[in-house]
Formats: sequence, C-alpha cells, structure tokens
Amino acid sequence: MVIKNRSSFIQFLLPAVILFASANLYAADSTSEDSWGDDAWGDDADSQQGIQIHGFVESALGARLGDDSAFRDDDLTLAELRARLEAENFYGDVRLSGKLDLYADGVEGGADLNLREAIAEFSINDNVDIKAGHQVLTWGTGDLVFLNDLFAKDWQSFFSGRDDEYLKAPSTSLKSSIYGDDVNIDFVWTPVFSHDNFISGERFSYFSPMANSQQAAPSGKVIPVEPSKTFSNGEFAARVHGSAQLLGSNAEWALYGYRGFWKQPNAVNSRNQPFYSPLTSLGASLRTNVASGIGHTELAWYNGDDDQGNNPLLPNNQLRFLVGYEQELLPKLTLGVQYYFEHQLDYDALTKSDGGSIYRVDEHRELWTIRMTYSAMQDNLIMSWFSFYSPTDQDYYHRPSVKYRFNDELNLTVGGNVFGGEQAHTFFGQFDDASNVYARLRWSY
Amino acid sequence: MFKVISIKSLFSMVAVSSKCVRLLGIGMVSLSMNTAMGADLTDANEIVAQANLTSYYAANDGRSEARMLIKDAQGREQKRQFTILRRDRSDGGEQDFLVVFSRPADVRNTVFLVAKKPGNDDDRWLYLPGLDLVKRISAGDKRTSFVGSHYFYEDVSGRGITEDNHQLKETTDSYYIINNQPVDTKSAEFSSYTAWINKNTFLPEKIEYFDESDTLYRRVEVLASELIQGYETVTKSRVSDLRSGGETTLEFRFQTYDLGMEQAVFSERSLRKPPREWLRRSK
Repeated sequence: MVIKNRSSFIQFLLPAVILFASANLYAADSTSEDSWGDDAWGDDADSQQGIQIHGFVESALGARLGDDSAFRDDDLTLAELRARLEAENFYGDVRLSGKLDLYADGVEGGADLNLREAIAEFSINDNVDIKAGHQVLTWGTGDLVFLNDLFAKDWQSFFSGRDDEYLKAPSTSLKSSIYGDDVNIDFVWTPVFSHDNFISGERFSYFSPMANSQQAAPSGKVIPVEPSKTFSNGEFAARVHGSAQLLGSNAEWALYGYRGFWKQPNAVNSRNQPFYSPLTSLGASLRTNVASGIGHTELAWYNGDDDQGNNPLLPNNQLRFLVGYEQELLPKLTLGVQYYFEHQLDYDALTKSDGGSIYRVDEHRELWTIRMTYSAMQDNLIMSWFSFYSPTDQDYYHRPSVKYRFNDELNLTVGGNVFGGEQAHTFFGQFDDASNVYARLRWSY
Repeated sequence: MFKVISIKSLFSMVAVSSKCVRLLGIGMVSLSMNTAMGADLTDANEIVAQANLTSYYAANDGRSEARMLIKDAQGREQKRQFTILRRDRSDGGEQDFLVVFSRPADVRNTVFLVAKKPGNDDDRWLYLPGLDLVKRISAGDKRTSFVGSHYFYEDVSGRGITEDNHQLKETTDSYYIINNQPVDTKSAEFSSYTAWINKNTFLPEKIEYFDESDTLYRRVEVLASELIQGYETVTKSRVSDLRSGGETTLEFRFQTYDLGMEQAVFSERSLRKPPREWLRRSK
C-alpha cells in the first residue's frame, strides 16, 4: 500500500515541480526594467496595515546511500510536496501570526498538516512582552548543540534533510519576557509536555540495547508512555539574561533553569516501556567578541530522578559543557569550531548496577563540531559543511549542503546527511544506515 | 544607504537641529565665514569629516524605508525591501542600526542589528524568525556584498574616515573632488577612490573606485535627494559594478528624523519583537 502510494506520489510530484520551476523562471525573465514601479511601496500609512499572506511550495526527495536491513522498503528517506501558508496581521498593537504546512508524505504515506505557528504577540506595558500560542522557541549559544535549550526538536526532519527551520519543533507555550535596565527575564510555560520528534524507528532505524540490534517500525517503533496532563507535569523554563562590558567587548550573559522531562524517552519503566523521566536543569552561558571572532561557552547541570546513579533504567545526572569560536577566515568564508563534553555523574554507581552492560554510555562523551560556510555569486550560492565528530564514541555525522537562489522566489538545496562510526550502538554510529542525500526545490511567494 | 541626510544650508540646519549646532559649532562658524566670503574649504580631512556627518549622522536618530533592485549583467532582477532605524550614540562616532526585512518572502521578518564602532569591529546580530534564533555574527569583511546587492556593508554603515588618506584634488564650482587612498592597502579591494562632494550639501554625490592598474571598476552615485526636516536626504542612489555589468538601485522613502528613540530600541528585545512604535510610518 505504502509502496504503491509512493510511486504514484513521485509521478505526481516531479511534473508538478518542473511546472512550478519553469513557470517561475519564465516569469522572472519577463519582468521589465526598473520594475519596482509603485509595487508594494504604498503611499500612505494604511498600506502597512492589512493581512500579509506568504508561504512557499516545496518538493523534496531524499534517498538512502546504502541499505537498511531493518526496513523492508528503505530507498527513500524524504519524498514530499509541501505547501506553506503564512498569515500575519496586527490588530492594534497585537500581532497575530500563523504558519501552516500541508504536505503529502511519500515515505510514511498520506497527507498531513503541520501547524508551525499560531500566536498572539503583544506588550502588557513598556517592559513586558507576551507571546502566547503554538510557537518555536530557541535560546542558548550552541550551534546545533543544545544544553539549556530544552525546547522540542525534530530530529527526524533534521536527519532527513528538511530545511533547518524544521529542527525546532513548535510547542504550545506562554512566553513572557520582562525587560529591565540591566537584567531581563524570560519565562516559558508549556502546559502539556512537548517532547522531541526523536528517531523512533520510522524513516530511520535505531539501535536497541535490549534487543541488541537495529530496530525499525512497525514492530520496533518506540511508543513511549507520556506524562499525564496535569499542571505539575507542565514544562517551566526560565532565562535571566543581559549584556555587560567585558574586556572592552559587549558580552552577553545568561542563566537558565528548566523543570520538566527529558525530551527523549531514555528511561524504562517496570513494564519494560520507555518513558520520559523527570528532569531539572540549571545552566549559564556567555557570548562575546574574542579576537576578530565570536566566542561562546555554556554549561548545564542535568538533574533527574536517579540521584544516586544506581538505577540503570533511568538516565544518570549529567554535567554538560560547551565552548565554541567562530570567525570569518576570508571574505565570505566563515569557520566555526565547537568542543562539547557530557559527563555522567555517579558513574561508579551505574557500573555497579547495570550488570556490566557493553552498551553503557561512557563517563565522558566528547564531541567536536566544525562549520564552514562560503557564499559566492552575490550571495546566491551558499555552500555549507557542518560535521559532528566524537573522539570518545568514535563516530561522526557530516552535513554538507549547497543552496542556490535562482531568484527571489526559487531556490534549490542539495545536501547530505552522512553518519558512521566504529561501533553499531553509539550516538551517531547507530545511524550508519540512515545516511542519505537529498534535494529540495522551493518556490516562495 | 544610510546616506539619508545632508545639510542643505546652514540656516536650515540651525533651525532644525540644535544638536548639530552644538557639535558642529566650530566647523559651522568657520564654514559660514568661508561661505560668507565665498571662500572654499581647503582641508581635505575637514571636508571628509563634514561629508561623513552629512551622509551617516543626520539628526540624533532616523527612520527610513528602503528597497533595492539588484540587476546582474544578464538583466536578472532581485529585490530587497526593509525598514531601517538608526540612532547615534555620538556624532561621527558609535551608532546603532536595526534593519527589518519585509522582502523577499524567504527573508521576511529577518532582523539585523548592528552596533557600529568606528575604528573597531562592529557588533552584529541576526534574528531568524523560522528558528526563533538570535545569532551573533562574527565581524566580517566590510567590503563584501550587503544582502546580495552590489552595495557593500561599508557603503551602508559608513567607512571610517581615518582608514584612508584624503587629498583635495580639485575644487570646482559645485564640488570638492577628493582623492582617497587606504592607509592599510590590504584593508580594501581598491587602490584609490575619488569622491565628488557637493560644496553646498556636503553629500558625496559620486564616488569612483580604482584598482591597482588605475582602472575604474565601481561607481556609487546619488540619483536624487531632497530636503527632509532640514536635512538633505538621499532618496535614490545606485552602485554599478563596471566589471560584471551588474548594478543595484536603492530607493528611500518615508524618512523621519529626531523621533526620540532610546538606546533600548537597539537590543535583543527588538530582534525578537521589532518595535512597531518606531517601524510603522508616521501618519
């Protein structure tokens, strides 16, 4: 059934894309000289009012580089036609914004809706802003490495080559921001726990230490027990932040707190079901100019339910640390490097209680990342390479991509997600068979 | 593009801007005496300093809408549209910019914040609305494309006046013609540039850039300006890349000065929630 859908999907998708692309290229060629005219400029204040409608239509195809024996049919990792509708309007000083995706998914089959944003944004007074509703939330200093940003992520989208935007999954939250002269406070309440869209066996397989093998949907799909929807099971996140002069530079500092759950179901209950165990975290970050680049560092203390570290079914408490630096090496060529480590607290207790598991995490997990970005052709061509490499896990994840803007409406992105490692069970090593290449053609309006 | 402003005449400037009078007092007195006697300025550094203030520092703050039409040699077009807020911390010194994009669709609601620090690297931030991400950007080469146009970042935010040696080449009826050579020859892609500075307004109306073989390869020119709140303000300009044949036309509309913006407008708060109070057109 799924296979049948898939082939018909592609038959439909490719002509549709070519049609879009050619229509658009033709339109771009036919524009006259000095074509601004009075288009969209507007002559009175009223023209800034009114509802703004935008969005895009995108088709995407991604294929696995090798085979994944955990899947019966494993060729495609991405096959979709996606239509985005964005609407924005002001009612007085209240901004309403909505972003909705409708997409036909050729990998998991069927059509689906994805509400990316539905918010009301306003100020209560001169110092307090409110953003309420379904929204994407981000803070912290890491580049694709998250310590104190415990807002939901979508790793399936990230691994499959969807636009970077989709790495951040929306949650239904109330964000209040209080601005003072020197200190600002953000407080985010997410009444219903919003977990990551983790690698659950759909689209990509994962390594199960219990089964001692790669697992995939349908039989191996991870179906975790979710926290009951009570007030105390809501998520509470806070950031206290400001900037100060440090060695002649504008340094941005922040303190973070979170109370909720691990965003991935890395605990197992007495009935052998995965679940999201409680998590409290505290942290801090600093970002400032260093030499002719930007330096950042961040620290987080993850404190869960396994205070002694002697329950192998619960994640141990952790310390997480990140330091990074980014600089423009040559005009339009930027290099960023980050070093991250994750330290398991109470590790001795874990080694004594887990029955000598060969899949036990290391006491220290180290990770290096490198990012190189080069833009050329009047910024119409952007080449990017991001790599994760862990010397302790001996595994890696490379993310090369090339994006070309044909014009303001049409762009093409081609890239890859390449995983590998010495061992089958490590963080990135388990996704060896998920390695893929993809292409996305997007027409924006 | 922040060459939004200029001084049409001394009298209008005195009338509208007490700050200018205060800060430029000495220069103005000598200038008015010179003008009164029909004499020209002869000090290239003084002319350039005056032109810098005129181009980038009019009033205490300002707001403008801007749009760019970017054309490559094949005639293919791209567009950018944005609103700029500017506030000076000191005349001729540090200033802050907030740029909110409304076009094209793929950069709509992207916000760019710059703390300009002459003689030092600027602080720059970018807000990407799709990710709700405030990204701090490392200081870059200021002589590379600004948002994909033929304008350079430095054309937009101003080039430090001490980065070049200035020489008054000629004084005509209408212009001071100034030759400029970089103090650090590795700091720029040009070996020299010539600026035609209007003697009345102090607007640099044309700038031509020359390479090592003394070949003209780039031109920036003012196509239109008008007096707004007493400040001579560029409303249309163009950059031509004479090597590639590409060009970008930049238009400004709906400029207002001396809005009374506070420093707090140029902060992370405005990146995440652009200040509508200042961004919207005054009625």
